[in-house]
Amino acid sequence: MSARTFFRLVPIVAIAAPAAVHATVYMSVEQAQQAMFPGEKLAPHFHQLQPAEIGAIRKASGASPLSKTVQAWKAQDGGWFMLDRVIGKHEFITYAVALNPDGAVKRVEILEYRETYGGEVRNAGWRQQFVGKKFGSTLQLGKDIKNISGATLSSRHITDGIRRLLATWQLLYRNG
Amino acid sequence: MAERLTRCRPLLGTFVEITGDEGAAIEAAFAAIERVHELMSAHQPDSDVSRINCFAHERAVQVHPWTAAVIERALYWSKQSGGAFDIVAAGAAAVDSGYLPRHSAQPKPECRSWTGLRVADCSVGIAAPGCIDIGGIAKGFAVDRAVDAMKAAGSQCGLVNAGGDIAGFGRQPWPVQVVEPATRQAVANVAVVNGAVATSSVQPDGSAPHLPMRSAGLRSATVCAPNATDADALTKVLLSGSPLAAICLELVEARAFVIDDSGSIAAIERQRRAA
Repeated sequence: MSARTFFRLVPIVAIAAPAAVHATVYMSVEQAQQAMFPGEKLAPHFHQLQPAEIGAIRKASGASPLSKTVQAWKAQDGGWFMLDRVIGKHEFITYAVALNPDGAVKRVEILEYRETYGGEVRNAGWRQQFVGKKFGSTLQLGKDIKNISGATLSSRHITDGIRRLLATWQLLYRNG
Repeated sequence: MAERLTRCRPLLGTFVEITGDEGAAIEAAFAAIERVHELMSAHQPDSDVSRINCFAHERAVQVHPWTAAVIERALYWSKQSGGAFDIVAAGAAAVDSGYLPRHSAQPKPECRSWTGLRVADCSVGIAAPGCIDIGGIAKGFAVDRAVDAMKAAGSQCGLVNAGGDIAGFGRQPWPVQVVEPATRQAVANVAVVNGAVATSSVQPDGSAPHLPMRSAGLRSATVCAPNATDADALTKVLLSGSPLAAICLELVEARAFVIDDSGSIAAIERQRRAA
């Protein structure tokens, strides 16, 4: 008896619904500011990056700013709130970073997450091999399922983005 | 009924999404995940895992009860799967390939089997210089601790999703969509009712993170189990093609399906003996 016979594979058929394109707004900018600096007033300190500044940030962090506008707010306690975006391989993410007055990261929140898949979803040929049935569920579900299993999503782009923001803060806001 | 809130933070190398009916409980859940992250990140030189990787071959390394619990459970699945799940072999492979860092005090891994790893009373030892990669189980463990934290904070319902390792609790089933990793095509819908679901997939080149060997012709494996720790570990047992996979699933009353290289989906069932 081969080891293989200890278990068997039973073909099942899967749902034919298109993948839910994962797009979620978790928080507004105001909600994030309130959560990260409760009860504090935040003063905008926006800045247009000059070419030399962009070069300095790239050199210090290894990442190029995606936008020439730096969106930063200063809190009453001396902390900072920075808003940024990163574009990953398959996703588009808006996030906020709260910094302590000394520039240490206090908290990171994802504000909006949007996957940029789309073409594959409409690939009818691929879909036709599956005929409408579900696994492990008697629940009838719509297309707007937000909870996805099977997504191996790396947050590396956020890590790179935070490093770039810290370099930006050092350059522009360290001295208030 | 209270309003549902969903928050998302980059932790454990992925995006952790937590849904609940109360902000304080969600905060407590993130705090639990941050704690797991600090204890078990192989990238932070002072984490429990990094200290094990540097010193456990020389002396017993004292670790947090959570770290000990993850290692104990990993060893349980190593034993039950006949070594298909092996955090020591995976650790050696991960360092060899550069997937995990080697800290300055960390020796080159020589121990390549779970049988060289010992844990008792929050104390960890390795028979020879060795390295553990608990990435194949720690995310699920973090999800379970987050659920515990929400329950302790008085939440009636909640859902925690750490990069596809998901656990939910409450009266209502939580709908979860399983996607095919390569195409992101939806392949199944699962209802999570006081339990967990986890999906693991192989890289485009056929290698599987946290597995010492290449996968057995499978693209991905999805496991529904009572908790996320076991669901997470069992996906790796399935991807390895271990003949003991179905028996492992039965041990915790888990159910599973896999997607093979051709895109076909199959449920895993134990072979019934012919009468």
